[in-house]
This record gives sequence, C-alpha cells and structure tokens, in this order.
Amino acid sequence: MGRYVTSRLLQALFIVVAITLGVFLILRVTAGDPARVRAPVFSSPEVIEQYRADFGTDRSIPEQLGSFAGGVVKGDLGESFRFQKPVTELIGEALPRTLQLALLALLMSVCIAVVLGVLAARHPGSPWDWMASAVAAVGQSAPVFWVGLLLSTYLAVKLGLFPAGGYDGFKSLILPAFTAALSIVPTELRVLRESMRSTLRQEYVRAARASGVPEWKITFKYALRNASLPLLTVIGVDVGYLLGGVIVAEVVFNFPGIGQLALVALNARDYPLVQGITIVTASVFVLVNLAIDLLYTVVDPRIRLEAA
Amino acid sequence: MSATTPLAASGSAPAPARTRASALSSLRGRGNWQLWVGGTVLALIALAALLAPLVAPYDPNRQDLTMVLTSPGDVHWAGTDGIGRDLLSRLIYGARVSLGVAGLGMALSIAVGVGAGMLAVFGGKWSERIVLRTIDVQLAFPYILLAVAITSAVRPSFGVLVGLMALAGWAGAARVVRSVALSERGKDYVRAAEMVGASRVRIARKYVFPSVLPSVLVLAPMQMSAMIVFEATLSFLGMGVRPPTATWGGIMLEGKDYLADAWWITTLTGLAIFVTALSLMLIGDGLQRLTGQRIDAIGGTVETRKEGAA
Repeated sequence: MGRYVTSRLLQALFIVVAITLGVFLILRVTAGDPARVRAPVFSSPEVIEQYRADFGTDRSIPEQLGSFAGGVVKGDLGESFRFQKPVTELIGEALPRTLQLALLALLMSVCIAVVLGVLAARHPGSPWDWMASAVAAVGQSAPVFWVGLLLSTYLAVKLGLFPAGGYDGFKSLILPAFTAALSIVPTELRVLRESMRSTLRQEYVRAARASGVPEWKITFKYALRNASLPLLTVIGVDVGYLLGGVIVAEVVFNFPGIGQLALVALNARDYPLVQGITIVTASVFVLVNLAIDLLYTVVDPRIRLEAA
Repeated sequence: MSATTPLAASGSAPAPARTRASALSSLRGRGNWQLWVGGTVLALIALAALLAPLVAPYDPNRQDLTMVLTSPGDVHWAGTDGIGRDLLSRLIYGARVSLGVAGLGMALSIAVGVGAGMLAVFGGKWSERIVLRTIDVQLAFPYILLAVAITSAVRPSFGVLVGLMALAGWAGAARVVRSVALSERGKDYVRAAEMVGASRVRIARKYVFPSVLPSVLVLAPMQMSAMIVFEATLSFLGMGVRPPTATWGGIMLEGKDYLADAWWITTLTGLAIFVTALSLMLIGDGLQRLTGQRIDAIGGTVETRKEGAA
C-alpha cells in the first residue's frame, strides 16, 4: 500500500511537470506578446520594450525556464503580468471557491444519480425509470451553459430567488453548482442504474429477501454498496468533465473562481498566471484520481492495490 | 444486413423510392420511432442550413438599430439581438457552422479512430502498445483544458475546430473499434482464414472491417451529438469561429448580457442546440436498437480502470 502510493505520487509528479513544461513552451512559441497586450494602445516601442524587461520576456527561453523552475521549487510562482500581484495570492483566493463549487456539484450529482438511479432500477418500466432515461438523454443533449443561463434568467433575474452571479455565501453557490453537476449527472445516472439493476438480481440479494430483510435495507445497505463501485470509476473518469462544467458555470454566473481566472489569464497572455493555474489544476486532477483509486479499497475490500 | 437501412432513413438525401419503401417496412416492423423522429428533425435542420440564403428571412449580419432587442413577433419571428440583427436568420446561418464543424469533426474522429483501433489489433505488439498508451493519455487529460490551451495558442477557425472535435472523439472511437475487432479476430472463421494463409491486411479488410461497421454506425451520430454541444461550449467561452460569423455558442455569449431584457436570445438559441443534439442522440439510439449493437464507451473505461487498480 505504502509502495503503491509512493509510486503513484511519483507518476503524478512526472505528469504535472510534463504538463507544466508543455504549457510553458507552448505559451512562448505561439503568437502573442504579453507586453503588447498589457501596454496601452499606441505605446511607443520603448514603452513596450520596458514592459518586456519588467516581465522578463526579453530573456532567452532557457533563462526564463530556469528562473521559473527556481521559483517553483521555493513555492514562488511569480507575479501576474495582468494583476501585478503574486500568482500564489490570486490562486489562493480563487481556488477555495472553485473547490467549494466543484465539491457541491459532485455531491448534488451523486445525490441525483443515486436517488433516481435506485428508484429506476427498483421499478423497471415505472415512471421513475422513464424519468431517469429522460434526465440522462436531456442532460446529454442540453448544453450545460444553456441550462445555466435558463436558471439564471428565470430563477435569479426574473424571480430573484437566487443571486444572479458573483460569490456571496452559500446561496450564491447553489445555481452554479447545480449547473456544473448537470455535466456529469447523465453518465453517473446511467451507470448506477445499470449496476444497481444487475446487483439486485444477485443471489445474495435474493437470499437476504428470502430471510426477511426489509427491502430498504437490502437496497441501501447491501446492494448500493456493491453497485456504487462502477459509479466511483465514472466519477474518476468524469473529473475532467466536471472541471469543464465548473469552468462553464463560472462564466455563466460570473463566479470568481479558477476557471474565470484561467480564461482572463489566457486572453491577457499572462504567462506566470497561466503556468501557476496549470500546475495547481493538474496537481488537483492527479491527486483526485489517486484518491479515487484508494477509495476502491474502502468500498470493495477485495481489491488490492499494487505498485504499477 | 441492417447496415444500409439506417443510412437511407436518416440521411437528408432522398433515397430511391423502392429502397425507401423497404427501409420503411423494416423499420415499422421494429417500431423504431427514435430513428424517424431524430432523422426527420435533423434533416429539416440540415436542409435549412444548406439553403440558408433562401430560407433565412434577413441577412444574418444586417444591423437594424431601430429594431434593437425586439421581442419575438410578426416582423422578427425569433426577435432581434442587441444590435438589431434578426435572431432567426442568425440561428439558421449558425446551423451551418455547428453542423459543419460537428459533421466533419465526427468524420475525422471516426476515420482516425478506425485507423488507430485496427492498427492496435493488426499492427503487432509495438503499435498496439503505442496506440493504447496514447488513448489512455488522451482520455485522462481533461480535453476542455486542452481545447482552451490550443485555441489560445492558435486563432480558432473552422478547420481548427474540426481538428479539436476529432481530438476529443478519436480515442473513444478507437477503443470501441479495437474491442469489436479484437473479438471478431478471435472467431473461428477468421482463425481458419489465418490458418490457410490469408494475409493480415486481407483479414483486416475482408473479415474484420465489415464487422466493425455497425458499431461505427451507432457511434457516429452519438459523437456528432456530443460535438454539437462541445463546439457550442467552446464558442460560448469565446473560443469558437470568430464573430461576426454567427455561431450558436457565440450568439449565446452575446445574449448573456441581455438576460433581463431579452430572454429569447439565450433561450431560443439553446433550444436550437438542444434539439439538434437530441435528434442525433435519438438517431444513435434508434440505430442501436436496429443493429442490436450496444456501444458503451463507459464500459471501455471501466475495463482499463480495473487493469490499473486491481
């Protein structure tokens, strides 16, 4: 177990370094000069040159890479070109908000999937089953940002039930989280219904039923635990989709999180900020995947993890 | 056998009367409403997109500043946007970009996927390893980030978006193709052909490839549906084909500023995306029932997960 975690962490480190290096190079070899974006329009060449010197983009790429890597080792991600603030400070503000949003979205999606999925699996052909299919199909075809804008238009702007945007306490999280949740509900729902159906057909469920265990206990205590294993897999695979959903939700609801920050940073060609966000999101991404693999052993003790 | 009927039913091109009649009876016999509803809706949208200059009531880029933010009515059926452009006309022209990007992207994705999947099965040990590794990496990487990174590096154009769609889809297609081809290759008749000395290329082309086709046929509309949504999402994030070209996602991005005053811009445009994507999903579902194929992209991923974890 210890060996497994160490080897996975090393792999994770390698992936994060590779992605960061890739982003670092792509930013510098493609078109767009941060100094020109930052400088006021019609600036003289001297002013632009001054910005380049300030940003350090007048140095050679290996030199820039050296100072960037040196900073990262010391926990310093540099200063944002656009905001003139340390990158760690900007990310430190935005990341907790985005994590709150993502966690709430994950929680909501799992709740919807479990409730609808279990009901649909227990009563095949019932309205619940039909509804689960409809939610899955609609959720897959309806663009997340459209649903978000509809919620925003009708629940927030017209009825005033929720704040229309921004970050201001728990209430401002509900609509964006629900929007982001919709990006992964369809797959979760489908997988859970399918695995629940096959689990309910197992011998041990019949044995439990025969010995008089109440139905709710069979469903939630015995069957759900086994049926949730594929759900866990899907969640691991879907973390990427959730991330996409969160970015979209942040844009729709003007939510000041990492997604918005990343889009602003990319448009401003704010190298340090883009690099910092890349390191942080890639790390979170690989760590979540590792956590999910470890969770397998909790849900199903038969699974053993071995160093790959 | 059924590989030809769905094409005749779902395509927008009118099929010869006789094929059509036989396709119809075979569909009726199976009671496949999904294919009919999806096919009809998609054909209508595709037709409108194709004949946009004839169908659209106005020039999609003509601004009428006396008619800014007009609500849907007799003059502008779907209302106007913030600078007085006719929304219905923009939606019709937007369908061109949407269907074009998703359609070509799907074709490219499927082509690459079939190539890679077959290579993994027939190319020998090393190409199998390389292909599988690449698929894993591609699927593990959150592609929305990849798309955002690419579009910020290169100016997004029609061609770039088609490439991005293919990038998002090829790995899933390759995985499906590989698993079908692998199981077909293990069948007795293919082994017999191998034994009497048929070459690998011949086996791949003559025996295995035809058996892959039904799955590809089911996969294609499903991928295209996801790509319609994906392209719109990218445009909504400001990473689609540049304005003033009308794209569905772009219209919604502009409409986002008028949520309180002009509900129709975002509501109706989203509805267009939704209906188009849903019609493709229905076609995929219908084909799935018709061919008896069950494509489970998720099933494929579950497999690899277990390899890594167990």
